[in-house]
Amino acid sequence: MPARTKVVTVKRGLWENLYLPEIVRGLGVTLKHFFINTLGPKSKRQIVTIDYPDVVRELPERYRGVHRLNTREDGSVRCTACMMCATICPANCIHIEAGERENPASRDIEKFPQVFEIDELVCVVCGLCVEACPCDAIRMDTHVHMPPVEHRKDAVLEKPELMSRGTKSIAVDGGAGPDWRDKYTDLGSLTQIYRPDHIERDRERPARR
Amino acid sequence: MGEIVIWALVKIAILFGFALNLSAVLTWMERRQSAMMQDRMGPVKANISGVTLWGLLHPLADALKLATKEDFVPPKAHKAIFVLAPLFAIAPVVMVFAVIPFAPPVCLKQLTAIAPRCVAPEHMQIARIDIGLLYVFAIASISVYGAALAGWASYNNYSLLGGLRASAQMLSYEITMGMALIGTFLVFGTLEPGELVLRQSTIAKWGIVQQPLGFILFFFAAIAETKRAPFDLPEGESEIVGYFVEYSGARFMTFFLGEFLEIVFVGCMVTTIFLGGWQAPGLAADGLHIFGLDLQLPHIAVVGLGLVTFTIKVFIVCFLQLAIRWSLPRMRYDQLMRLGWKGMLPASIINVIITAAVVLWMSSPVKG
Amino acid sequence: MSEHEPTPTPELVTVKIDGKEHQLPKGKNLLEALLDLGEDISYFCYHPGLSVAASCRQCLVGIRGSMVPSCQTTVSDGLELESQSPTVLDARRQMLEFTLVNHPVDCVICDKAGECTLQRHYMDWDGKPSEIDHEKVEKPKKVDVGREIVLDAERCILCSRCVRFCQEIAESPDLVFEYRGNHETLTTAPDRRLDNSYSLNTVDICPVGALTDKDFRFKIRVWELYATRSVCNGCAAGCDTEVHHRDGRIYRMVPPKDWDMNLNWMCDDGRRTYKSVAAQRLTRPLVDGEPAELDAALAAIKERLEPLLAQDRGAIGVVLGADASNEDNFMAARMAYDFLEAGHVYLADSPDNGLGDDILRRDDPNPNRAGARGCARGDLGSSEDLARDLADHKLEALYVVGDRLDLSDETLGQLRGLKLVVVQASEPSRLTDKAHVVLPAAKWAEVHGTITRTSERAKRDLSASRFGRMRPAVEPPGMARPHWDWLKRVGAVLGVTVEFESAHAVFQEMKKQVPFFAEAQWGGKIPTVMLRFAGRRG
Ligand code: SF4
Ligand code: SF4
Ligand code: SF4
Ligand code: SF4
Ligand code: FES
Repeated sequence: MPARTKVVTVKRGLWENLYLPEIVRGLGVTLKHFFINTLGPKSKRQIVTIDYPDVVRELPERYRGVHRLNTREDGSVRCTACMMCATICPANCIHIEAGERENPASRDIEKFPQVFEIDELVCVVCGLCVEACPCDAIRMDTHVHMPPVEHRKDAVLEKPELMSRGTKSIAVDGGAGPDWRDKYTDLGSLTQIYRPDHIERDRERPARR
Repeated sequence: MGEIVIWALVKIAILFGFALNLSAVLTWMERRQSAMMQDRMGPVKANISGVTLWGLLHPLADALKLATKEDFVPPKAHKAIFVLAPLFAIAPVVMVFAVIPFAPPVCLKQLTAIAPRCVAPEHMQIARIDIGLLYVFAIASISVYGAALAGWASYNNYSLLGGLRASAQMLSYEITMGMALIGTFLVFGTLEPGELVLRQSTIAKWGIVQQPLGFILFFFAAIAETKRAPFDLPEGESEIVGYFVEYSGARFMTFFLGEFLEIVFVGCMVTTIFLGGWQAPGLAADGLHIFGLDLQLPHIAVVGLGLVTFTIKVFIVCFLQLAIRWSLPRMRYDQLMRLGWKGMLPASIINVIITAAVVLWMSSPVKG
Repeated sequence: MSEHEPTPTPELVTVKIDGKEHQLPKGKNLLEALLDLGEDISYFCYHPGLSVAASCRQCLVGIRGSMVPSCQTTVSDGLELESQSPTVLDARRQMLEFTLVNHPVDCVICDKAGECTLQRHYMDWDGKPSEIDHEKVEKPKKVDVGREIVLDAERCILCSRCVRFCQEIAESPDLVFEYRGNHETLTTAPDRRLDNSYSLNTVDICPVGALTDKDFRFKIRVWELYATRSVCNGCAAGCDTEVHHRDGRIYRMVPPKDWDMNLNWMCDDGRRTYKSVAAQRLTRPLVDGEPAELDAALAAIKERLEPLLAQDRGAIGVVLGADASNEDNFMAARMAYDFLEAGHVYLADSPDNGLGDDILRRDDPNPNRAGARGCARGDLGSSEDLARDLADHKLEALYVVGDRLDLSDETLGQLRGLKLVVVQASEPSRLTDKAHVVLPAAKWAEVHGTITRTSERAKRDLSASRFGRMRPAVEPPGMARPHWDWLKRVGAVLGVTVEFESAHAVFQEMKKQVPFFAEAQWGGKIPTVMLRFAGRRG
C-alpha cells in the first residue's frame, strides 16, 4: 500500500509574517497559565506535578514492575528454559542456561533453567517476555520499581531473587486440560486474567487458511 | 575628594547589590516561572530545616553546589585563556552597569526639603559620561571575546563551533542594536543616560512611545546579544553543545552568572532608554500628582520612589525576557541570520531615516 | 542429476491438478512431482532417501473422489487429482489432528522446536486449540536408546523414518515398533541399541523431536544458531556439512538439508569433530617454548634458516600435512620445491584405521591426503622415512605443516639436535614441545579452503564433486592463522614476494599451476544464515 500523504499548505499573510502579533499571542497563552497558577484561585490551578517521593502515584493495575519467576505446586521453578522470553526480548537482557534434571520422575519436566538472569538496567520494560512465556513462568506484576543500585552487576537479578517474589501460577501444570475448571474452582480474582470464555473465543478463532 | 570616593562606593554598592541579587533571584525565577507557565511545580525542595521560601533557597544551593564542584580543565586546553575566558565574559557586563541612572539626582544638603533645587545634585549613576551609551556599546562588544575564547581555548571542536556561532550572532545583532538606538538619540538629542531619563518626564515622552519600532528592534537585538531563547544557538542547554561545555564548577558559574547579569542589564537599558528610567507617571520633583491626588513629598521620598519605580520596571522587563524564552521556539541558524541582516537591520535603518525626517520637519522653521 | 548413472529422459505425460494441466515425467513419485511443481503439500513419513511407507497419510490428494497418499502414487497418463481443494485440505487437516491426538506438545522443552515439521504444519495449516477431550496416552519419556540418542516416545508420530533409515541406510535394524494402535510405541529391537555409526541421522530425519542428540540436548534453541556450509574433516570422504554455531562457539554439525540436490548423511564420529575446534589450542607463536610476538617468531626462523640456505639446502626437510587444505599444501610445496629447494619432502598423515564402510566412511582418517599428494612433485616420504633420515643425520632443519606428524619418542629426541624445527600446528603436542618455533594454525572450521575427497564417494552421494569447500564458521583463537598465511609470511621474511590476498587467490594460482587441481571448483558463496529463518529439518 502506498503511503498516504496529505499536503497541507499553510498560508501566511503579512500579519503572521510580522511575527510580532503571534509572539504576543503566544506570550498570552503562557502568561495566562502563569497567572492562573500563581495568582488564580486554588481550584483553577492546573499544576499536575506529583510531589514525588513524598507523594507516590498510584500504579495502574497492569503496571510492569520488576520481574518475578513463578513456581510450580512443588515449589520448583515453573520456567522450562524454553528461551521464548530470551528470544523475543528486544533488549537482549535475559540470559538463561538450560539444565537437565538428574533423575526426573516419569512425568516431570526434564528441562529447567540452571541460570536465569535478567539485567534490569538493560531491560526496556516492554513486557514482551511475559507475553511470550508459554508456561506462565515469568511475570512483571510485582508493582515493584527497580530500586537504584550501586554497581551494574547488582541490577542483574538472578534466579533466587526472581523466585523470591514468585508465587504459584494459576495455570495448570501440564496445560489446561478439559477438567481444569474443576481443579481450580476457586478462581476468584484470577478469572480476570484468563476467563473461561476466552477458551470459547479461542475455539472460534478461524484456523489459518 | 574622600566624599567622592565614598559616594562612588555607596552607589556601586547599591547598584551591584541590586544587580547581583536580582540575577540570583532570576536563576530561581527562570525555573519557577517556567514551571508555572507549563503547569509544573519547579524547584521547591531546597530547605533549611524545613523552610523552603517557595524555593528561594535554590540559588543558594546552586551556588554552593557549583562552588564545590570539581574544577576541570581539559588536558589539551590552552590553560591561561581557558581560565581567563569566563572573566572576559563577565567583566564587560559588570562594567556597563556604571552608566545606569537608577534614581533621581539627589540634592544632598536638602534631603527633607520639598522640590529642592541645587546647582550640583549628586547623580545616581556610578559614572556620568557624556557619551554613556557609546561607552555601553564599546564595552558590550568586548563580551564576544568571552564566548569566542572559551570556545577556542577548550580544545573541543564543539566548543569551538559554539564560540563561532556566538561571535557571528553577536556581531550581526550589535549593528541592529546600535541602529535601533540612533532614532532615540535623534529624538532626545543626548547620549548621556541620566539626561535621557530626565527628558522622558511624561509617558508621552517615553522612548517606547516616541520610538516604538526602535524599542522592539532594540529589545529583540538585545535578547539576541544575550544569547537567550529564541536566539540561544550558541549554547542551547540540553540540546546544543555550546562554547562552555568544557567548563565546570566555579568557572561555569561565572558564565552562568554573566548570563543572568546580562538579563538584568538589558532590563536596565530598556528601562533607561525606553521606559523613562526612574520616572513614574505622576511623580514630580515635589511629590505625587496622580488620579487627582496631590501629595507633597520630601525630596528623600521622591528619590526613594524613583528607585522603587526603576526596580519595578527592570523587574518587569526581566520577567518579560523570561516569559519570551519559555514561549518561543528556538530559531534555526539561517533564520537567525536572515532575520538579523535582512529583517531587523533594514528595519532599523528605515527607522533612522523616518525619525530623522520627522525630527527635521518638526524643528524646521518652515513648519506650520 | 547424477553424473554416475545417467537416467534416460523420462516420458512426459499430462496430469490434471486442480483442473490445470501439467506435463509430468511418467512413473515419478507423485508427491515428489507435486513438490517440484511448487505445490504446498504437507508430509511426514516420505523421505527422498528412504523407501516409501505411506504411514502418516499426511500427503493425501483426491483422486477420483477418494483420498490417496500421494507419496505412494506414481505419475501416470491422464491422472486427474485435487491437491488444494477444500475437501483435500480438510482431510489433511484432520490427519494432522489425528497425528496430534497423543502428541504431548512439549515444544517448550523440545529440542526440535523451531525446526519441527509437526510444528510447522500445525502453524501453517491448523492453528486451532485441540478438541480432543480424553486423556492422552502416556508413553515413556527420556528413554536412553543409544550411545548418542535419547528417545521421547510420546513425541514420536510413528512415521517410521528412523526405522527405515536403520534398516536401509545404516543396515542395522536397531529400531522397531511395539504394540498397536493407540499404544504403538517406538523402541529398540530386542537385544539391540541404537548404536550404529550413523545413528544421529535419525535425529535429523525425525520430523518431530522424538529422537534427540544427547550432546546437543538442551544446549541451545535451534533458532538461535547460525549455519555455515563447510566440509567434514573427519575422514577422507569429506562429507558436506553445515556447521551450526553462535557467538564463536560451535554447537553441532549436521548434513546440509537440501536433500534432493545432494542426498547426504553424516556419520556420528564426523558430527563430533567440531569438539576439537574448541579443544586446547595454540594461540600464540612459541620460540624455544616461550610465547613470542609474531615478528619475533618470524625473525627467529629467518635467523636460523638463512645460514642453511646458503650452505646445504639438501639438509632441509618440509613436511606436508594430510590435515591441511589444498591451498595450504600448495603453499608448503611451493616453499619446499621452489624456494627452499629442500632435499626432503614428507607427508604427515594418520594411518588407515579400518573403520571405513561402503556407506560414507573411509578407512583413511585424513581429510586431505590426496590433496597433499596432488601438490607434491614426486614421491613424498612417510613419517618412517623421516625417522630414518633423522637417525642418519641427513636433516639439519625441518618445517612441519599440520598436526598429524606422529613420531616416536626416540625420533622426537633427535629433533632437538637440528638447527631449526618449525611446526605449524593448531594444538599443543609432543612435537610442538620439541619444536624451536611453533606457529599457531587455524582449524578447518575457521578457514576458507578446499580439500580433495578420495575416489568414488558413497554410493548415495550423487553430485559430490571431488573437491570439498570449507568456509569459516568461527574465528581462529588468539593469533592462530591459516597455514597458507603463515607460509606466506615466512616466505616474506625470507625474501619471497608472492602476495596472496586470500585463500581464494592461492586456490586460483594452484589451479593454474598444478594439473591435479585443473578441474577444482572454488564453489559459490553460501552465506551464513540464521536458523530462525531456516524452516524445518527432517
Ligand atoms: S520486559 Fe522486555 S526488555 Fe525487559 S526482559 Fe522482558 S522482554 Fe526483555
Ligand atoms: S518464556 Fe517462560 S518458560 Fe520459557 S524460558 Fe522464559 S520464563 Fe522460562
Ligand atoms: S515434536 Fe514438534 S510439536 Fe512435538 S513437542 Fe517437539 S517441537 Fe513441539
Ligand atoms: S522417532 Fe521420529 S522418525 Fe522415528 S518413527 Fe517416531 S517420529 Fe518417525
Ligand atoms: S508422506 Fe505420504 S503417507 Fe506419509
